[in-house]
Amino acid sequence: MGEVSLETSAYAKIILHAAKYPHCAVNGVLLADGSKVKSGNKNQELDIVDSIPLFHHSHYVSPMAEIALTQIELQAQSDNRVIAGYYAACENFRDNTVEKCPGQKIAEKIVEYFPSAVFIVVDNKRMVQHLDTPAIKIHKYSEGKWKPKDANKVLFQTPYVLETVSHLLQRRVQKDLVDFDNYLDDSTQDWSNLGIEKLIASINASNTIEKEKDSE
Amino acid sequence: MSYNNYEDLSRNEIIDLLRQWRDNNERKGEEVLTLFDTIIPVFNKLGSEKYLILEQVIYAALDCHYYETAMWWIMLLNMEFPGSLRVMRYKAACLEAEEKYDEALEILDNIIKSDETNAAARKRRICILKAQGLITDAIKELVDYLKKFMSDMEAWQELSELYLQVQEYSKAAFCAEELILHQPHNHLMHQRLADIRYTMGGMENMELAKSYYCQAIKLNPDNTRALLGLFLVTNALVGQYKSAGGAKRSEAWRLSQWAQRSAAPDLAAAMLTLAITD
Repeated sequence: MGEVSLETSAYAKIILHAAKYPHCAVNGVLLADGSKVKSGNKNQELDIVDSIPLFHHSHYVSPMAEIALTQIELQAQSDNRVIAGYYAACENFRDNTVEKCPGQKIAEKIVEYFPSAVFIVVDNKRMVQHLDTPAIKIHKYSEGKWKPKDANKVLFQTPYVLETVSHLLQRRVQKDLVDFDNYLDDSTQDWSNLGIEKLIASINASNTIEKEKDSE
Repeated sequence: MSYNNYEDLSRNEIIDLLRQWRDNNERKGEEVLTLFDTIIPVFNKLGSEKYLILEQVIYAALDCHYYETAMWWIMLLNMEFPGSLRVMRYKAACLEAEEKYDEALEILDNIIKSDETNAAARKRRICILKAQGLITDAIKELVDYLKKFMSDMEAWQELSELYLQVQEYSKAAFCAEELILHQPHNHLMHQRLADIRYTMGGMENMELAKSYYCQAIKLNPDNTRALLGLFLVTNALVGQYKSAGGAKRSEAWRLSQWAQRSAAPDLAAAMLTLAITD
């Protein structure tokens, strides 16, 4: 089965979204680099380069999801990215299965267009301020069902991802995260979260320098 | 959102801010606890507001899983108001947070026994069912509750959401209608019903959704969700009324054009891709 890996900012936004609304279910979509994916291939390697936080309320009505997905697709096309998956966290602390997640219809729709799509469920119990595990579960679609991938293996493209995201949580960066609901309430807010992306890029850059120093 | 520098606030400003959060039902556990520490020195001079703040702090502590902090304040209140049902409710809340549901239920039942009209305790019982993931049981109990407390808006709203979770859309719509009857001037209620009708689909529901979105926009022209919803629904209607020239079709067409003109530029771009060109 093709491996799935995540970029830091894609992963960070999932965790920050769940942390910003600890009392709500949250969801969002995952994007992959359009030049690297092969259409129609079900078992390809997949690198999730970005995630877009969608909603934290009204999960069970569809109009705003239709708008959001259209707008994300527009944006993704112009950046040469494709919608390659879906993530969600359940409202109830104990629920961490696909079946309990909101918006499964959205996920199924994504699979229709992108067969190797993934479904990421946030593992509420493992979400802590000092992340020692990724606290997410990755699922792949096969034979009409979401099947979990190897639970302990979440691949990251850069080193120190858990440290970086823990750092963001402790600095309460989740307050600055903007999801599509926030954007619909106030259209001056930026749902692509460029600010957080820049912050992560700068942390990653300093991590790389540290690493080089260490290896010298 | 703009209060990021709590250190700059004077004590009076903090007290005002806490009051504002209470009035708006804002759930800012960590912030409440941080701010509370800074007003402790003047706490006893606050008069009766101090009990309201304590209640806020107890719930904030439970939200952040500081059970001992919460228990400490509950005990102090208990000494001051022995036998108070309100203080008993805090105890139940604390047990509930610790997931000791049976003990919490016992206290809640006692509260209800001594005061049959205690709506808050009855609602907590329903919340415990919800926390255990027993959605259908929670719905059953909430329906019973609403037979007794028919004017409880919050409960109708919760019931509507629970019905949506189990995909009983027409029942959810009924609850949303009830909410409109209670608050006919609240644009969010109209938008909520329209959202549900749109999700249900079909011509009749689409026509209803259109009307409710229009009403929501009339009550609040800045409701972006209603504007987008109106666009989606009129678009779908234009597609379905095939015979060109029909009065209903041209009305839907006019509304869809109007929604597109009224939208913010970046949303209008998304609308264009969805739009059916005539």
